[in-house]
Amino acid sequence: MKRNGSSSRFRQSITTVLYPLFFGILILVLWQTQALHAMLNIDPFVLPLPSRINSIIGESLPKIMTNVWATLIVAVAGLLLGSLFGYLIAIVATVFPKWGAGGLSIVTAFNAIPIVALAPVITNWTKDVSSDANIRSMVAKIIVVLLMCTASMSLNAYRGLTELRPFSQDLLESYAAGKFTIFRKLRLPNSVPYIFTALRVSVPLSVISALVSEYFAEYVIGVGRQIRENIVLGQYPTAWAYITVACLIGIVMYAVLIVCESILLRHRK
Amino acid sequence: MKALQTIRSSRKLVTLVWILGLIILWECGAFYIEAVKRTPENVLPHLWQIIASVFSTKVISNGQTATQIVLTNAGATLLRAGYGFLIGMAGGFLLAILMKLSGIVEKVAFPYLMLIQMIPILGMAPIVLAITKDIGVSRIVIAAILTFYPVCTNTLAGLKSVEQEKLDLMYLCAANRYQVYWKTLIPTCIPFFFTGLKISAPMAITASILVDTLQGDGGLGCMLSQSLKHAMSIYVFWQIVFLSAFVGVASSWLMGLLERRFSPQKRLAARKGA
Repeated sequence: MKRNGSSSRFRQSITTVLYPLFFGILILVLWQTQALHAMLNIDPFVLPLPSRINSIIGESLPKIMTNVWATLIVAVAGLLLGSLFGYLIAIVATVFPKWGAGGLSIVTAFNAIPIVALAPVITNWTKDVSSDANIRSMVAKIIVVLLMCTASMSLNAYRGLTELRPFSQDLLESYAAGKFTIFRKLRLPNSVPYIFTALRVSVPLSVISALVSEYFAEYVIGVGRQIRENIVLGQYPTAWAYITVACLIGIVMYAVLIVCESILLRHRK
Repeated sequence: MKALQTIRSSRKLVTLVWILGLIILWECGAFYIEAVKRTPENVLPHLWQIIASVFSTKVISNGQTATQIVLTNAGATLLRAGYGFLIGMAGGFLLAILMKLSGIVEKVAFPYLMLIQMIPILGMAPIVLAITKDIGVSRIVIAAILTFYPVCTNTLAGLKSVEQEKLDLMYLCAANRYQVYWKTLIPTCIPFFFTGLKISAPMAITASILVDTLQGDGGLGCMLSQSLKHAMSIYVFWQIVFLSAFVGVASSWLMGLLERRFSPQKRLAARKGA
């Protein structure tokens, strides 16, 4: 009976992997054999075959890598600074509950501001940062990503710092623990899983913001900008190569996050 | 005395003070910029200058004033964002129901739902434009894709959050599948569904504006980039920035309003809280 149960579970986990894999391969095959083009009525020039995209990535790898680095630096720096900033806001909101919580609702409102409105404004404001256009637009892009990533971290971290286990704060207070001790021993550890909840939202967001802010930056560099420039020039295969790379950046950053989370939170489960 | 206390401790006042603080900060910056820059209106104009430009009757281009330009283009952009939003909403909800109904659909679709979340769809906007060849259609498509996955994942989480006891009760009442969905599963997932909508409403608007910037065919984004290139008054740019910020916030707020209309539990909770 028991063996039967485990074998059915085995079958379950096999199908969980196999079904999506089969679906993905089906799409790839349809794409490569141009059946997809016939169905959606697209020219193979606009939607190049996977083999062609692959060969282009191989050919112009050094150039792609410089653009990948430019985007990656912006996304990671903005993500880290924004998360740090968001966490600091959450701490301030925890220490001064009345005024801080009101400030948090303002931060939420900021979150709904479209990035297309934000990016050109920031580009305008950072004109004097450096005489080098590359550094100047890099700073502008990082600030945009920073602002986009702040809200999710501050909201989640605030929940993590305030939604404590019942009576745990009372217990510490009965030990005559000061506010700082409560903060360090109770609130800080309690907020760690919430930090990862926030990062799961803001990691994909940071990549998207980095790509979009490149559209509005002065200096022409980065994966997002290359997608656009190549389409303007009509070089669709190259543009697709950059799209593939952009997707890979998103997936890799998310995977890194999941690995970090499973290492850091392994004692919690 | 007591009335004063309630006013002082109310949340609205706190928010108001914060907004006032931001306005003061902006104005300080504007005065500073005015002192050091040659063209301060490009960097940081005074708020009253922006407000004055809204009411000014000066014709800027095509016989329209700045406000007329912004509003007509906003109409085109927001309408497309709205279509895409509705399509994405319906699609996301249906797929979530399908995934709940059939294990195979769930297994096939779930990893791709996770994957689509990590793919920068906005970065793909130019290629969608190239494929659909029509800027209106590509606006709708991108807004729909962006709406689709938050709605779908949140609704699915809602469908899965139904307590086993409720399902057992429905089973005891000899409810058929349709009744189980209509009376138990769907009402439970409605708050989750609205969480998804709240996330995706500003995203749909962002997507629509972004697609505008790709082609000179009207729309807010197009005016935004033209104004930045000084093809028309820079105040058009500032008006669009504030309008899109306002619409983004308002769309999220509107979803919250709709949620309270559609879910009785929330209405009750709001009344209790008040």
